[in-house]
Amino acid sequence: MSVSIKIWDLPLRLFHWLMATAVLAAVVSGKLGGNLIDWHGRIGLLLLGLLVFRVVWGFIGSTHARFTSFFPTPTRITAYLKGQWQGIGHNPLGALSALALLATLAALVVTGLFANDDIAFQGPLFTLISKDLSNKLSGWHALAFDALIVLVPLHLAAIVYYARIKKHNLVIPMLTGRKVVPKAQAVELSGGGLRRFAAALTLAVVAVWGVNYGASYFAASPAIPAATTAEPSF
Amino acid sequence: MKLKLVLALVLGAVTVSAMAGQAEDQQVKFRQSAYSFAAWNTTKIKSQVIDHPETYNKEQVVAAANAIAAVANSGLGALFGPGTDQATGWKKTRLKAEFFEKPEDVKKLAIAFNKEANELAKVAASGDKDAIKAQFGKLGETCKNCHDQFRSKE
Repeated sequence: MSVSIKIWDLPLRLFHWLMATAVLAAVVSGKLGGNLIDWHGRIGLLLLGLLVFRVVWGFIGSTHARFTSFFPTPTRITAYLKGQWQGIGHNPLGALSALALLATLAALVVTGLFANDDIAFQGPLFTLISKDLSNKLSGWHALAFDALIVLVPLHLAAIVYYARIKKHNLVIPMLTGRKVVPKAQAVELSGGGLRRFAAALTLAVVAVWGVNYGASYFAASPAIPAATTAEPSF
Repeated sequence: MKLKLVLALVLGAVTVSAMAGQAEDQQVKFRQSAYSFAAWNTTKIKSQVIDHPETYNKEQVVAAANAIAAVANSGLGALFGPGTDQATGWKKTRLKAEFFEKPEDVKKLAIAFNKEANELAKVAASGDKDAIKAQFGKLGETCKNCHDQFRSKE
């Protein structure tokens, strides 16, 4: 007996698809450069908000959104590899993949906040650190990107693998929130809710606002010595 | 007498080995200075035209664009002599060794940088902020293209 149950709550699904779209936009704008670099920075702030939201939601969201419900402990991974794992949210390997993606994106966003490109871009927190450290973090930003372009294709390949080989469509549940599961495993979602959503959203907005405007309270805005233009000019 | 000769030879050898690489280091110093100076000027244009357009000052933007064009037109190629991927100027260079293996690519990048820098100087003189912004973006792309290909990450 199988039943259709709700598995992914709406905030989680919105997070997922916004994240996917924003990452794509960040990659394109980052690669093209030019004046798009400013959009790259703005998208980075959006990603910061999304990541903060996701982390908070990992504690106060509904059942399968919570880190404790899917954290890939060695026991869970071993059980999964032996084919003995039973569950309906992220399976342990999927959880590893999701956490690796989140960690990589967090590394990209955090290094990006301090980065510079020696052309015309400085992250909103650039002024808080030295130029040398910013250069170093810009290098790490590129390294984290190397990790991302390995992880994203893996993520997509896994979805194709599950659809083709294991006959599990993972995309539809991420769109509708519903999944058909064996009746024995069917557990109703709990947690989440509008007030908690509002709390997580508020924290995300505050974080973005904080890095975008907060830095100016701690450090003077970039000291660009202006040119003197009075005659004779020196 | 013999001792003096040996001493002189040893001293000479030491001096020569200390000087080895000095010419390369000097080239790197000059080019690092040139690009830093250009960066001061791109930062000013970015600030006055894009980030804080209310601070736009035509004379300053023209001066900055002319300075960038002057750097681009100054014959920077002379500062990229063989061996300068290993040299240290104000700090260790980030030039990749591939720079010397792909002269055709280098040429294309250098020409693009020159062209867009000269165009920016022209557009800056017109005082049309939207046009300056667009051209500034094009110039930035030429910087990035070369960085992506020939500048190592820190």
